[in-house]
Amino acid sequence: MRSIEGVQGAFRERGYICERSLATAVFLSLELGRPLLLEGEAGVGKTELAKVLASSLDARLIRLQCYEGLDVNTAVYEWNYPRQMLEIRLLEARGDIDRAKAHDIFSTEFLIKRPLLQALESDGTGTPPVLLIDEIDRADEEFEAYLLEILSDFQVTVPEIGTIRAEQPPRVILTSNRTREVHDALKRRCLYHWIDYPTPAKEYEIVVARVPDAPEHLARQVVAFIHRLREADLTKVPGVAETLDWAAALLSLGAVELSPEVVDTSLGVVLKYEEDIRRIQGETAARYLAEAAAGA
Amino acid sequence: MAPAPGAAPDDQSTVPTAVILAPGGQAVDGRRLVGEAVGFGRALRAGGLAVDLGAAIDFSRALTLVDVGDREQVRAAGEAVFVRRRDDRIVYDRIFERWWRRRAARLPSDGPALPPLEDEGLDAGADGTDTGAADDDHAAGEPLGQLLAAAGEDGDEAVTPDRTVIAPDAFSTAEALRHREFDRMTAAELRDAERLVDLLKPHLEQRRTRRHELHRHGRYLAPRAMYRRNLATGGDLTEWVWRRPTRRPRPIVVLCDISGSMERHSRLLLRFVQALSAASIVRTESFVFGTRLTRVTRQLRDRDRDRALANVADAVEDWAGGTRIGASFRDFNLKWARRTLRSSGVVIVVSDGWDRGDPALVASETARLRRNCHRLVWLNPLAGVPGYQPLAGGMQAAHPYIDDFLPAGTVASLERLGEILAGVRAGDLRRGSEAAAATDAGARSSPTAAGLAAWAARPMASTGRDTLEGDGPR
Repeated sequence: MRSIEGVQGAFRERGYICERSLATAVFLSLELGRPLLLEGEAGVGKTELAKVLASSLDARLIRLQCYEGLDVNTAVYEWNYPRQMLEIRLLEARGDIDRAKAHDIFSTEFLIKRPLLQALESDGTGTPPVLLIDEIDRADEEFEAYLLEILSDFQVTVPEIGTIRAEQPPRVILTSNRTREVHDALKRRCLYHWIDYPTPAKEYEIVVARVPDAPEHLARQVVAFIHRLREADLTKVPGVAETLDWAAALLSLGAVELSPEVVDTSLGVVLKYEEDIRRIQGETAARYLAEAAAGA
Repeated sequence: MAPAPGAAPDDQSTVPTAVILAPGGQAVDGRRLVGEAVGFGRALRAGGLAVDLGAAIDFSRALTLVDVGDREQVRAAGEAVFVRRRDDRIVYDRIFERWWRRRAARLPSDGPALPPLEDEGLDAGADGTDTGAADDDHAAGEPLGQLLAAAGEDGDEAVTPDRTVIAPDAFSTAEALRHREFDRMTAAELRDAERLVDLLKPHLEQRRTRRHELHRHGRYLAPRAMYRRNLATGGDLTEWVWRRPTRRPRPIVVLCDISGSMERHSRLLLRFVQALSAASIVRTESFVFGTRLTRVTRQLRDRDRDRALANVADAVEDWAGGTRIGASFRDFNLKWARRTLRSSGVVIVVSDGWDRGDPALVASETARLRRNCHRLVWLNPLAGVPGYQPLAGGMQAAHPYIDDFLPAGTVASLERLGEILAGVRAGDLRRGSEAAAATDAGARSSPTAAGLAAWAARPMASTGRDTLEGDGPR
């Protein structure tokens, strides 16, 4: 993982085929110790990259799924109030309550560590974990602002205890689907990469790597058809995830070749909007198939 | 492809401190490297990218990690560091191309790995950002053959795109005239727009977020805070603590028709939106459309309000065209709806509904737009004319999907718009044409002052509704 080729190779071993520019961004993020913000259409492998990265580095993957209203208590830490209560009762029962001090019940023992705090802690293996902050655009601005401290200094301040700092900063991957623009202050702390749809050749490699049982001819047909679909005027263009799903689905249907009938029956795996399916099904699908065959 | 290593001493100990050894083995002058990186950063900033010094420093660090002779590696490294949104990539690629070719041109065949420090970037920074871009153009234009020869196989494919400059100077006279008129508002228009903003500020419709705050009259228990507060009593829960959802104004998206007669009304609304976003109380997005949809949110952010409108006029490329409502809406639905309306915003369309496209497309796209937003308001200047019926092709197609159909351009209609944005609705639950007819009549009959007074009294009703919905204590 100490060179661009190394990153690309390690990813390839794990079935993740990526462009060189993406490997460069990952490499730089590792070397510079900067979080990497990945944007791209749904299903181009943003989340998958974090998983593959963790496995390549042999590191723990800590995932934080964002949603509106996500707050410090669920993302960073929370006091274990019931345990604190019990502790007070115990102290009372033992007659020690007078000698107990406030900070006895506000110690790390009573702290519930949520993903972000876990990511700052070393797990003893010496390898910093990979922290995946998934779909940051779903969180609200308040949470984004909170991330600033963590992502630039890799530290968290708990008022009762003090500042907890990471000995080894975690590798951070953020993903966004751009349902809104992530704030510039956050972007400034990150490296950025936009993941495009792969080229047909690359996508074919991906299909072969991920669905190894698919016959070569079928895999080529699927990729060619999907690429034709991406040029069509659709509400939601299929991503790589759909390509893989489709290849797997066709395989379990026992199809060895794409025919208009096969496409029509399994189109729901690829297109998720009723109007898109209606537009493509039947004649258009047959035409695309012919074009794809001619192109391939 | 990598440039020949400079005079790279083999012995580590003799390497002066300013020289860094790149992974390729070639020695690089650290000062020049930083100069290069900063210069490139400046060129990018001149090109409109949001580049700060931190990014330039990152880039110079990145240059020590990649093969500085490999064009693709340097390009990808710069992209990871400098580019922060998808749309910036095109600008980045263009400027990179130019920068790389100039670098390659200045590089003697076996000289140092990076050119000397006295360099366009620093000069450009001193002169001011704009001249930097001009300089670049000049330099890139002149010794083209030389550049290509020097850059070898690297730089040739992107020569043509370099020359295609999108500039609004291809106008016919009539277009230019309209272009100029757009940013001029009459004093009265300005007053109207500003007055509207003042009226609205405290009354914008709020939506409940998923975030909670502690509040005495909250409806939900707040166990966390309760435990915390009751630790003092040794864990006996003696005090109840409540929380309630926080509220935020709904985002507002305006789609303005800028064809022909619509321009004046659109301008007024844009002015209003500009004032709203300047007051930063609500998130706004603005688009203008004729035959194409153009996003003008950024242009409107200019603090100088006249310049902001001039910026909008510059951004628009289809001044002479007619209107294609369906296609423009489709563009919005596909590219922008998810990004701008995600927390169910209010969409305001200003258009007379005259459309050259297919009415069926207008209908289906308006329907989709309606599904994506909290409320769809349509301002039509013609609607104020007594006896008006929405019969124009596009208008008729869109009408069934509109929540509020209002006449534009009169003070009364703007007041009614104010009410809608404040979440006060006549015959609240009726949507579509029925409600539109009702509000229409209301807006036309109420004289200004009376209408205002009525409206000022209205928010009471809204509070009452909230209480009913259960925000009250228990």
